[in-house]
Amino acid sequence: MEMKSAGRVFGRFLPTSAATRALWICAAVASAVLLLLPETVRLDGTRHADWLQFVGRFHPLAVHIPIGLIVLVPVLEIAGLFRPVLREAASFVLGLAVAACLGTLVLGYLLAYGSGDTGVTVTRHVWGGIALVIGLMLCLLARSSWSTGAKKYSYPVLLTGVLFALLWTAHQGGTLTHGSAYLTEYMPAPLKRLSLFNNAAAARDANSFYGRQIHPIFDANCVACHGASKMQGGLRLDSYELLMKGGKDGRVVIPGNAQRSVLLERITLPADNKHFMPAEGRPPLKPDEVARIRAWIEQGASPASRTVAGVVIEEQPKEAPPEPVGDYSALMPEIHQMAQSQGAKLLVVSAKPSDGLILNTVDAPANFGDAQLARFQKFASYIVEANLARTSLTDASFETLSRFTHLRALHLEGTAVTGNGLAKLTSLTHLTYLNLSETKVDSAAIVPLTSMRNLRHVYLFDTPAQPATAGDTHTAERSAQ
Amino acid sequence: MKQHPLCTDCEQNAGVLDLPVPEGLKREWVALETRRRFLGRSGKVLGWAAMASLFGEAVPRGNASGDTKNGSATPDHDALKLPHFAPKAKRAIYLFMSGGPAQMDLLDYKPNLAALFNKDIPDSVRGSQQLTGMTAGQAHFPIAPSHWGFKRYGQSETWVSDLLPYTARMVDELTIIKSTNTDAINHEPAIMLMNTGNMNAGKPCLGSWLSYGLGSMNDNLPTFIVLQTKVNAKENNQPVSSRLWSSGFLSSEFAGIGLRSGGDPVLYLADPDGVDREVRRKMLDAVEQINKQTLEEIGDPETNARIAQYEMAYRMQASVPELVDLSKEPQSTWDLYGPDAKVPGTFAYNCLLARRMAERGVRFTQVYKRGWDMHDNVTGMMPLLCSETDRACFALVTDLKRRGLLDDTLVIWAGEFGRTVYSQGGLTAANYGRDHHPRCFTTWMTGGGVRPGLTYGETDDYSYNVVKDPVHVRDFNATILHCLGIDHNKFTYKFQGLDQKLTGPTPASVVNGILA
Repeated sequence: MEMKSAGRVFGRFLPTSAATRALWICAAVASAVLLLLPETVRLDGTRHADWLQFVGRFHPLAVHIPIGLIVLVPVLEIAGLFRPVLREAASFVLGLAVAACLGTLVLGYLLAYGSGDTGVTVTRHVWGGIALVIGLMLCLLARSSWSTGAKKYSYPVLLTGVLFALLWTAHQGGTLTHGSAYLTEYMPAPLKRLSLFNNAAAARDANSFYGRQIHPIFDANCVACHGASKMQGGLRLDSYELLMKGGKDGRVVIPGNAQRSVLLERITLPADNKHFMPAEGRPPLKPDEVARIRAWIEQGASPASRTVAGVVIEEQPKEAPPEPVGDYSALMPEIHQMAQSQGAKLLVVSAKPSDGLILNTVDAPANFGDAQLARFQKFASYIVEANLARTSLTDASFETLSRFTHLRALHLEGTAVTGNGLAKLTSLTHLTYLNLSETKVDSAAIVPLTSMRNLRHVYLFDTPAQPATAGDTHTAERSAQ
Repeated sequence: MKQHPLCTDCEQNAGVLDLPVPEGLKREWVALETRRRFLGRSGKVLGWAAMASLFGEAVPRGNASGDTKNGSATPDHDALKLPHFAPKAKRAIYLFMSGGPAQMDLLDYKPNLAALFNKDIPDSVRGSQQLTGMTAGQAHFPIAPSHWGFKRYGQSETWVSDLLPYTARMVDELTIIKSTNTDAINHEPAIMLMNTGNMNAGKPCLGSWLSYGLGSMNDNLPTFIVLQTKVNAKENNQPVSSRLWSSGFLSSEFAGIGLRSGGDPVLYLADPDGVDREVRRKMLDAVEQINKQTLEEIGDPETNARIAQYEMAYRMQASVPELVDLSKEPQSTWDLYGPDAKVPGTFAYNCLLARRMAERGVRFTQVYKRGWDMHDNVTGMMPLLCSETDRACFALVTDLKRRGLLDDTLVIWAGEFGRTVYSQGGLTAANYGRDHHPRCFTTWMTGGGVRPGLTYGETDDYSYNVVKDPVHVRDFNATILHCLGIDHNKFTYKFQGLDQKLTGPTPASVVNGILA
């Protein structure tokens, strides 16, 4: 592709004098060499001589010189409209930029070749660098005819193209050093929503031992070098399939045999060993992480199994963060007005609107009942907790409550509910807490609740389902599992 | 425009063009005020505004006027941006063991001490610590092992003294911190430090900060209530007074409201004969008008606080009798709390009230129990104190749990410091005394935000120095704030030119190890 576009450009700017013709030929030869470089000196994912890397690691430093020079060129050209002397300088700076860019390209290539970096982003970055050098050379050549007024548009168009190529290539380089989320991590939320950089989460069984315990370790420690953007040694650890596929030297995980699994061997070597992973002075894995990987491999390295015998996970698996609700800020005046007219209040969970609202009736008039609750339906999608204890609510309210789809906690203690229609609450998929203490709810009424996966705490103190007796301290508590 | 009487400039409406500057410059200024310049500047202003809204945090828009209907001077809580994050606990109950309970007799088990009975504590352990005047003159510092046995309880296999049979039954609910430590060795500074984060009086206490920052969940009851336990004359009671629940430099409406331990919970709350609600209302409205005049004349914000407190008292006339009416409590309550709970002013009664307040949305309840200051006769006093508190603590935690309130209520049990392992005064086989000890003491928390069944921090073999995971009072308070959704570093109030905060200027950190 590069060849073709280059050829087209050549066709258009047929040189005239002998001197310029020689320059054109030089540029063409240089371009050809550069275009063939990735084919002749292949980035094969193997590490090469150390001195290549030593020199190559100056690339991230040196790269700023051509960037600065390239950006300076259009600045000088535009400033030259007002001060012609600056235009003279532009040509000189452009020449410097070509040289600096070529040097940096060589350093970068040494780095990639020496360290055995491969991957989509590395490839893009290399091609970007090559395109930049060629583009700059063409700029230099086109500029002479532009400055004499012979060709009016070729140079500005080429220069603009070079600037865009610079932007793109620099972004690829930044992704390599800082990771792909670096730019967008702290992007303001409104921008983020518009952003095109939304990465779809990899499909994996989030509840499996692999998904919960193993993958996060790789993700945090290994994927920076063994992932989509950089795949050193041809190995990628960002999905189960790629992990099992192994790298350039074959499989790294032998299910059922931790001893022979290269992956485990490399992470358990002494830290000063040349082959120790994570490499390049990154912190080693923690002993319990290594133990978890070892046990998982020993027991078949399954992508789906939920538990691995002999591994006690101290930490409870992190609860999924609660579903954020919409932004209710615009409704604030109405919310304040509701408090005045209905007695019940809508309190904020926190300063973050996405945490939602709490419907609080603790100081509402005693007649707060089904009709009053129905008036809060408008805010249903923002309410994450409803404290309706000791109100005049009856079973009729289950219908209304079933539309409060973001509810996580529901207090109905001390109300007149009997549990008739309690099954309607099963539509509240986020509900984790339900308090029915001091009501007339019996054990038959709560049977439908058993199908609610997230419901973890059901309180039935002093009800027919769980009569109050001395010393009885149990709640109908069950785990999410 | 009327000229200020003190203005000596006789020229009216003097503008910038009246200044003695060269005419050419003035012309230049006038020329600058073109339509183009105006539009350009407007564009920039719009740009900045757009940028500010893009980078700023989204804040719910509130009514800036506050709740004027109730005459409250409460700050606009939307403007405070609190809680900073979704809290695990919405309210807290603080059981304050005033006097300093002896940690090695209750929860900090030191089996090695038995062999060291009456031996002097090694100098290496005591170091260069300055002692109180009560024991500094002692020639010997004989080690007094605990008089009571310890056993393991619960799934967490926590060692608990035989003095605390009820606490032992709930150890799997508790987060026990053995490494709490303080800077003060005497009651007054220590209890101030514990409550307000500063040894000197004048700073707001924890409850006032919470009341100010989080606001009320129930307009009919105070946000912060203090319950004092009736004094038992047999015990060595250290003074506890309203400076401990003072609002300091915050508006006085955030001060704790103390309910009396005997008789009427709030004095003169009931209307006298011949005064009905209607008359009372009229009187309060009239007083409010007078107070508002005062406010306009003098502008002291404390006048606002006074207005708010009158209104609160009016509402409490209805809500407090209901709060303290225990006649509807089921038998299971009395079975759990024991017979003491029927006697107003006992610790058990206060714990039961604390549960009722939690149900009614009181943000912060602090129950004070005095008498833990045992400089002598530990073996005589300890069983007495424990019998007064052990069952009630258990009952409160259990009651909250079975009613589903422990999920979002934080319960805290703490004194102001610990006690020495060496005996104050004579040590005999049957009895000993213990002096104040700030370097380590044991506290516990349970409920919303903390991890149950956990023992955090370790002390050395003498329960004298912290050897692992120290928790300073500042860290302790920072952790409490964290459980209630507050970042202690961001929660500040400008006073005396400083951004004052509960944890003070010394860096404090949330004890992440005990969080759920």
